[in-house]
Amino acid sequence: MRLFQVVLKDIMRRKKRVLYATVGVIIGTMTVISILTIANAGQAKIYSQLEKYGANLNIVPATKSLTTGLGDLTLGTLTIGENYISEDKVSEIQRIADYEIKNYLDIKEEGTVATIAPKLFLTGEVKGIPVMLVGIEPVPEMAIRTWWEVKDGKIFNGADQVLSGSMAAELLELKVGDTIIIKDRNLTISGILADTGSNDDYQIYLPLAALQGIYDKQGLISSIDVRALCNGCPVEIIADSINLEIPGVRAVAVKQVADTEMGMVEKVNGFMLALAGVTLLVGGFGVVNTLMTSINERIKDIGIMRAVGASRKQITIALVYEAVIIGIDGGVLGYGAGTLLAYFAGPLIFEGASISFVPVYLPVSLGLAIFIAVLATLYPALHAGKIRVADSFRSL
Amino acid sequence: MLEIKGVKKIYGRDTAAVTALNDISFEVKQGDFVAIMGPSGSGKSTLLNIIGGLDVLTGGEVIFNGERIDNLDEDGLVKFRRGRISYVFQQYHLLQSLTALENVLLPLTFRGALGQEKKALELLKRVGLGKRAAHKPSQLSGGEQQRVAIARALVNDPLLTLADEPTGNMDQKTGKEILDLFRELNREGHSFIMVTHNREAADRAGEIIFLEDGRIVDRIKNRGEIND
Repeated sequence: MRLFQVVLKDIMRRKKRVLYATVGVIIGTMTVISILTIANAGQAKIYSQLEKYGANLNIVPATKSLTTGLGDLTLGTLTIGENYISEDKVSEIQRIADYEIKNYLDIKEEGTVATIAPKLFLTGEVKGIPVMLVGIEPVPEMAIRTWWEVKDGKIFNGADQVLSGSMAAELLELKVGDTIIIKDRNLTISGILADTGSNDDYQIYLPLAALQGIYDKQGLISSIDVRALCNGCPVEIIADSINLEIPGVRAVAVKQVADTEMGMVEKVNGFMLALAGVTLLVGGFGVVNTLMTSINERIKDIGIMRAVGASRKQITIALVYEAVIIGIDGGVLGYGAGTLLAYFAGPLIFEGASISFVPVYLPVSLGLAIFIAVLATLYPALHAGKIRVADSFRSL
Repeated sequence: MLEIKGVKKIYGRDTAAVTALNDISFEVKQGDFVAIMGPSGSGKSTLLNIIGGLDVLTGGEVIFNGERIDNLDEDGLVKFRRGRISYVFQQYHLLQSLTALENVLLPLTFRGALGQEKKALELLKRVGLGKRAAHKPSQLSGGEQQRVAIARALVNDPLLTLADEPTGNMDQKTGKEILDLFRELNREGHSFIMVTHNREAADRAGEIIFLEDGRIVDRIKNRGEIND
C-alpha cells in the first residue's frame, strides 16, 4: 500500500468534504476560463470590426514638391514626377505584401493574403457639371470598403455601367437605369451607394479599365489601397519594403488604425485579466478556508499517522496529493463550467460574439487549479506537520 | 532496554504550573510486561507519552537501548517510532477509510516497505481476525478494532509496545480477551508497558507501578501465572 492509495481511500470516504474544497477551485478557474474565453471571442469580434476600417497602406505616385522663387519671393510650387503609377506595379506590390505578411505570421501556403485595390482618379463632366470619376476594380474595392452598401440596384458587372455615390446621384438627379454620357460614352447607372459620410458620396465609380479607356490612360492608376489587417500585421515593414523595392511609388502605413486596434484589445484584455485575478484570489481564500477546516477535522487521523511512523514530510506530501487531486477535478470541471458560463455571458458583453471551446484553455485551467489547490494547501499542510501527536489525541 | 531517570513534567508556568510527573525513575527489561496504575490525573498517560516520544519532558532522561530519546529531533523520533516502539490506544485510533488489513499495513507504508500483505494477514490471524481482514473499522466491534490496533502495533517488529488504557472502552469479557492476547504475546517475547486504572487489568502484568500525583508510590511484582 502506497501513500497516495491511503490518500485516495481517505478522499473516497470524505467525498462531500473534498467536493466542497473542489467547489472553491471550480469557481476560481471557472471565472478565469470564462473570462479568457469571452476575451478570446471578443478579440475575434473586435478584429473583425476593426478590419472594416479599411486600408492599412496607401500607395501613391512618388512626387516632390519644389518651391520656386527668386530670392525671398515665392512664385509657387511645382510638382515634379509622374502623377500616375504604372498598373504593372500592382502585382509586385501584391507579392511584397504577401511575402511580409506570410513571413510575419509564419504562413507556408501559397496564395494571396493581402487585398490590393488599385484606382484611378480623374475629373470629368456629367450633365455639364464637373465630377470626380473613380476607376475601381469592384471585388478588391468592396473588400476594403466593407462599409459600402449599394442602396439601389447593384454594383456594376459590365464595362458600360457605373456606380454613383449618394450625393452625386442626388445632385445630378440620377436613378438606377439612367444613362449618362461621359466623353461621348454612354454609361448606365447600375447602382447607387448608401451614404457613407465621406468624399465617397460625391464620386462616380466606373470599372477601372473603362475609365482608362475613356480618357486614354491605359495601364495607369492614381493610387493603390492595400489591406493587410491581421493581428498586428507589419504594415510599416510592408511600406518600407515597397518603398525600397519599387521606384516611383510612395507607400504610407495607415498606422493609426492598427494602433487603435491594438490599444483597444490590450485594454479589454488587461481589464478582463485583472478581474480574473481578483476572482482567483477570492477562490483561493475559499480553498484555504475549506482545506484548513478539513485538516482540523482530521487532526486525529494525522495524529494516528504520525504515531505509526509518518514523518512531517509524509503528512505534508499526503495533503499535497489531496490538493493535486482536488486541482485536477477542479481544473476539468472549472474548464467546462467556465466555457458554459462564457457561452451565456459572452454575448452580453460582446454583442454577437460567438463562444466556442478553446482546447488550449484546458491545460491552462488544470495548471491554474492545481496551482491554487497546492498553494492553498501549503499553509494548512505546514500547520498539520507541526501538530504534536500527543496534542492531536488530547484534543479529542 | 528502557531506563527512566528522574523524569519531570510540568504543564504551564509560574503560578499556573502543574506538576504532572515528579522525579520518576524505573527500568523496563526486554520481555517485561509492566502496568502503570493510578487514579486519573496521576500522570500515567503523560508518562506513557513521554516514554513513547509523543510528548516532551521538563527534566530527567529517557534512555532506550542506551540511547537518549527525550532529546531526539524530529527525524530521530520518526525513526524511533518506525521499528522500536509502537502504541495501542484506548480509542483504537484506526483510520476509518482503511480496512483492517490496510490499517495493519499503514506503519509499513510510512516506512516504504511494500508487498507485506502476507505478514499483515498473518498478524491479523494471530490476533484472531483472519476472516475480518477486509472489514472497515466501522464494521468491527470494539474488541475487534483493538485487535486490529494490536496487529498494527506488532507489524514493525517493535522492541516495546505502549498501551494506554487498552481495555478502557470494553466490557469485562472483551477486556479480558484483549489482556489474554497481551499475555500470550508477552510470553512470545513482546515487551509491553500498559497504563490502566483498573486493578484487575494491572494484575495481568508482571509488574505494577503505582502513580499518585506524579510520583511513584508503590511497585509490586506479580508472581507466576496466578492471574491467568
